[in-house]
Amino acid sequence: MQAAALCGRGAGVSAAIVTGAAGGLGGRIGERLAAAGHELVLVDLDPRVEEVAAAQGARGVVADLTRAEGVAAAVEAAGGEVGVLVNNAGITRDARATKMTEAEFAAVIEINLTAAIRLTLALEERFARGASVVNLSSRASLGNFGQANYSASKAGLVGFGRALAQRWAPRVRVNAVAPSLVDTPMTQAMPPEVLAKLVAKIPAGRIGTPDDVAGVVAFLASDDAAYVTGQVIYVCGGRTVAP
Amino acid sequence: MGEVFVFRPEPLGDDPGAVTEVLTAAFVAVREALEGGRPVVVSLAAGDLLGQGGPLDAAVAAGLLGMVRTLGIEGAKPGWRINVVAGPGVAAEGADLGVAPEDEAADEEDPVGLIIGELARSELTGQLLQVGGANLGKLPA
Repeated sequence: MQAAALCGRGAGVSAAIVTGAAGGLGGRIGERLAAAGHELVLVDLDPRVEEVAAAQGARGVVADLTRAEGVAAAVEAAGGEVGVLVNNAGITRDARATKMTEAEFAAVIEINLTAAIRLTLALEERFARGASVVNLSSRASLGNFGQANYSASKAGLVGFGRALAQRWAPRVRVNAVAPSLVDTPMTQAMPPEVLAKLVAKIPAGRIGTPDDVAGVVAFLASDDAAYVTGQVIYVCGGRTVAP
Repeated sequence: MGEVFVFRPEPLGDDPGAVTEVLTAAFVAVREALEGGRPVVVSLAAGDLLGQGGPLDAAVAAGLLGMVRTLGIEGAKPGWRINVVAGPGVAAEGADLGVAPEDEAADEEDPVGLIIGELARSELTGQLLQVGGANLGKLPA
């Protein structure tokens, strides 16, 4: 009981911020956190986040987290204490390294990694005792053809989280979730034969769903994970151990 | 194979914008070296990979490792050789962790320099070699 009290939030209601919340994955994460009793703040550069928020009874914030005013808007919308932050916003700009432009590399780092760092650090004083930060990393953090920028950004989130987990303990927990292929509009746009080849490499035999990922995020955000910090959970159907 | 190119990030301080700058600069410099036929070694502080230093230094260290692993995969066909060596310490403590002294490979008194020299001659690619044992009993990077 005492150990749980060190890192758990207990029964209070606090804000949960989810970035990249206009997309299917971010929206599903929001739904799971709302079901757990959090007051949701959904943030996205995409104005559709306001519709998603309205449907969930949440606050929607249209903000560019690569800019100081965007970070300030997200922090302001959270109001008082923040119990959960899910850094989910991200983009891809895939290309072989020989063809990748410097701008493509920098854009992915700036949005996927540096913007998450800015928002997380800006919230330092707002986090409730026992708060949980969940960074959406990726299996690609271990290396993935055509994704030098994305791999660096998602691996960087893991490193950042490991350091913060130590620096902010025991007040705030920081973990990462690293999905593999997830059924989103991006993967739905792939040529079916390409997608089938990728799925064939997954021991679970299917593509992941947003719910597969959201469930693990919700676990890490909850007091059930009160003794879990500085960790990465791969949600990849076993892809990380397959040939 | 040309002379080894060593990239070693400097301590970042507390400006998050430096994360984008350093990682992008690393990508550009490393790609140029690889395309020029040079083996590349990214030299990191083991403590940064473990998140035991500053959070921005940890982000850059882990980000560089992720990038190297992808370049290792992409470089299989053209024969690129790019690896990471992690030595003792954390960037925040290391006044001597400046940018990439190319003669580091020649310093065989220093275990990190010795490994860099070996990596320059080996066929390994996309690997992380750790010196000093700080990683033992910890999470794999």
